[in-house]
Amino acid sequence: MLVVDDERSIRLLCRVNLIASGMDVLEASNGREGLELARRERPDLVLLDVMMPEVDGWTVARELAADEETREIPIVFLTARADPADRRLGEQLGGVGYVVKPFDPVTIGEFVENVLVRIERGEREQLKRGITSDPER
Amino acid sequence: MSTPESSEAADRARRLQRVAELLAEAVTPQEVLDSILTEGVRAAEARAGAIGVLSADGASVELLAQRGYDTSAMAGWTMFPLEADVPMSEVIRTGEPVFLASVQERNERYPALADQGQESNALVVVPLAVEGRVFGAMSLSFDRDVFFEPERREMKLTLARQAAQALARSRLYAAEQDLRRRMTFLAEASEVLASSLDYNFTLTQVAQLSVPGLADWCAIDMVGPTGEIERLAVAHEDPEKVRWAYELQDRYPPDPDAPTGVPQVLRTGEPEFFPELPQELLDEAIGDDEELRRIVDELGLKSTICVPLIARGRTLGALTLIAAETHPPYTQADLEQALELARRAAVAVDNARLYREAERGADAARALGYVGDGVVLLDIAGHVLHWNPAAASITNVSEEDAVGRLVSEVVPAWDALTSHVPLVPPGGAASPVTVPIVLGDRERWVSVSGVDFGDGTVYALQDVTEEHALEKTRADFVATASHELRTPLAAVYGAVRTLRRDDVELSEADRSQFLEMIESEATRLAKIVDQILLAGQLDADAVELDVTECDLEQVAAGVIESAAVHVPESISLGLSVDGAAPIRCDENKLRQVLVNLVDNAVKYSPEGGRVELRVRSVNGSCQIEVADEGLGIPPDEHERIFEKFYRLDPQQTQGVGGSGLGLYICRELVERMNGRLHVESEPGKGSRFTVELPLRR
Repeated sequence: MLVVDDERSIRLLCRVNLIASGMDVLEASNGREGLELARRERPDLVLLDVMMPEVDGWTVARELAADEETREIPIVFLTARADPADRRLGEQLGGVGYVVKPFDPVTIGEFVENVLVRIERGEREQLKRGITSDPER
Repeated sequence: MSTPESSEAADRARRLQRVAELLAEAVTPQEVLDSILTEGVRAAEARAGAIGVLSADGASVELLAQRGYDTSAMAGWTMFPLEADVPMSEVIRTGEPVFLASVQERNERYPALADQGQESNALVVVPLAVEGRVFGAMSLSFDRDVFFEPERREMKLTLARQAAQALARSRLYAAEQDLRRRMTFLAEASEVLASSLDYNFTLTQVAQLSVPGLADWCAIDMVGPTGEIERLAVAHEDPEKVRWAYELQDRYPPDPDAPTGVPQVLRTGEPEFFPELPQELLDEAIGDDEELRRIVDELGLKSTICVPLIARGRTLGALTLIAAETHPPYTQADLEQALELARRAAVAVDNARLYREAERGADAARALGYVGDGVVLLDIAGHVLHWNPAAASITNVSEEDAVGRLVSEVVPAWDALTSHVPLVPPGGAASPVTVPIVLGDRERWVSVSGVDFGDGTVYALQDVTEEHALEKTRADFVATASHELRTPLAAVYGAVRTLRRDDVELSEADRSQFLEMIESEATRLAKIVDQILLAGQLDADAVELDVTECDLEQVAAGVIESAAVHVPESISLGLSVDGAAPIRCDENKLRQVLVNLVDNAVKYSPEGGRVELRVRSVNGSCQIEVADEGLGIPPDEHERIFEKFYRLDPQQTQGVGGSGLGLYICRELVERMNGRLHVESEPGKGSRFTVELPLRR
């Protein structure tokens, strides 16, 4: 699991709670570092913040989708941007989940697991559409 | 030795000579008549004489004057038909003189006169003719029966020739004088009419000019804006009578449907002329109103002319002339003069109105020139009739390039611009619609409203590009503020939720980190809320400064120290102080400014970047620079970054967020301490923010 967020506190929350769900966690504090790690480590999923210095989350998602090697890595946006237009952009960039801050880190592990199971089941497109049709998450 | 006959002939010649001399001196028709009827009658050895002329219409004989006849007997002979079987009519008809030796002879030839003037004797009636044209006749009555032998007849005919010449000459002179007087009056009236564009004034002047020469009373009535009759002027020589006339008008307002008078003339556009005002007409107008009858009798109205003021086919008003106590009854010449006067007055009124309308139009156009909103006037086919400077500025099309052309050719986006604009009728509540319009390479937001006035459309355009941008900035601020609040909130909430997990054993280090996180993120939240509140206070000018002497070096060191606690390890901080002199300021506010500038510098610094805080004194001021090696700021944004809510494009900040209030607050605070804050920067080469504060004196 790769957590990309310039906020140390958010990274810490994700790390502790994802590990508690039995997952291995990688962290990146900005977009560029996130891209490098994703390309190198091929995580099962990326939890991706949007507003970050230098390389923002949208750019990371766009570049991962443009690269055949990383295209299939599922992206869950983890952002304070709650605007419907942002959700639509998240969907367009291939996100399979959209979590708006503040979020409950205790359930983040369960959420990620559910996303992975559904992708396994071939429900990737439904997950994408869920970004705009399920504004709760 | 002379015979009695030759002596008589010489005597006749002398008398004729005497008459000729007198007639030569007579200038006016009255003087001529006087001379003929005194010296002429005497020269003819007659008892009485009379002179009649053909009336203007050629149907009657008008008795001009008489001398020696019984006035009561002549009362019925002031005017009689040309066809009448009486000597004067016959002489004028035939041009042949009539010599009647006695009353018997007269009665035999003119039985109609058999019962009149039986005490009369011989009668001579000779034609008055000039250049073969008979225009009247002179009668001479004698106090005895006379046999008119040829010499006597010739003498009467000679006298008639002299009288005719003199009378014709004097009448010509009088007519010429009359024409000159009329022309002079018209010239004076024209001069008055041309003297001012205030036709209320000029028409009043013309009315006054008309009395007493043209009338005893002159009134001018105009058609008001809603068709009502408005009395503009009344003139009479006696001001008291004028006042009285207005009172009368108030008591007896004109009936717009009246079959005669001003209402009739205004309705039909035809003049009304009563050379002699018929009594029945007056009776009809007066009705049973005894008071009105008394007034009308007192006025002594004799003759009236009422002519319309017509210009370009429209009846604008009416001019009324009344002959009463002094003026003789009106003639056809008077009517013609009145018509000419009315024609000139109407042209003057029409010109004044046109000028006033043109001036109003020019005023309106001038006013529109200063209006900040664009005003576009189109005819029904969509041609531009008016295009004010603001419209030119908004559309970037000059007035010269727009007027007269189809608006869709002038501004190709016009139809798209106005297709959603509801057109309201004049006086209706306009509903402006804000639409974007792309002109060349620039986009503008324009608020458009339209009024359809039947003959065309008028559009008001307001450039709301800036307001729209501000609105967008505000909306962005809400999104940004929301983001800024959500992030620390997420950390606090997440930390609490994690700490309360009972299914996970947290290490002591993690637990401690979460507690620190709650503390620091709660502080961050409070800071953001403070910023929003402070911006509100600055707006309301409710920020109070606590100005004290301030050790700048100490403040700067404190700022760097506290920044060092949370700055990422990859970014280095530096402080240099070069002769900081003491200043007076609000130390907390200055610290707040520097903390914000340093935080910004850190936030935008790349990895490995350095943030420097430099303090120095320069030319009577103290300068504090905060320099970074970050992304930099494009030159055209150097001022805008200090605007409230303004934030650089996220593309330029690579996603770094902010409330858009920090730099606004910094500049406002520095300026309130009599200082200034500015930035020097180039994209990719870092930024240098400088606070300048005056040194303490």
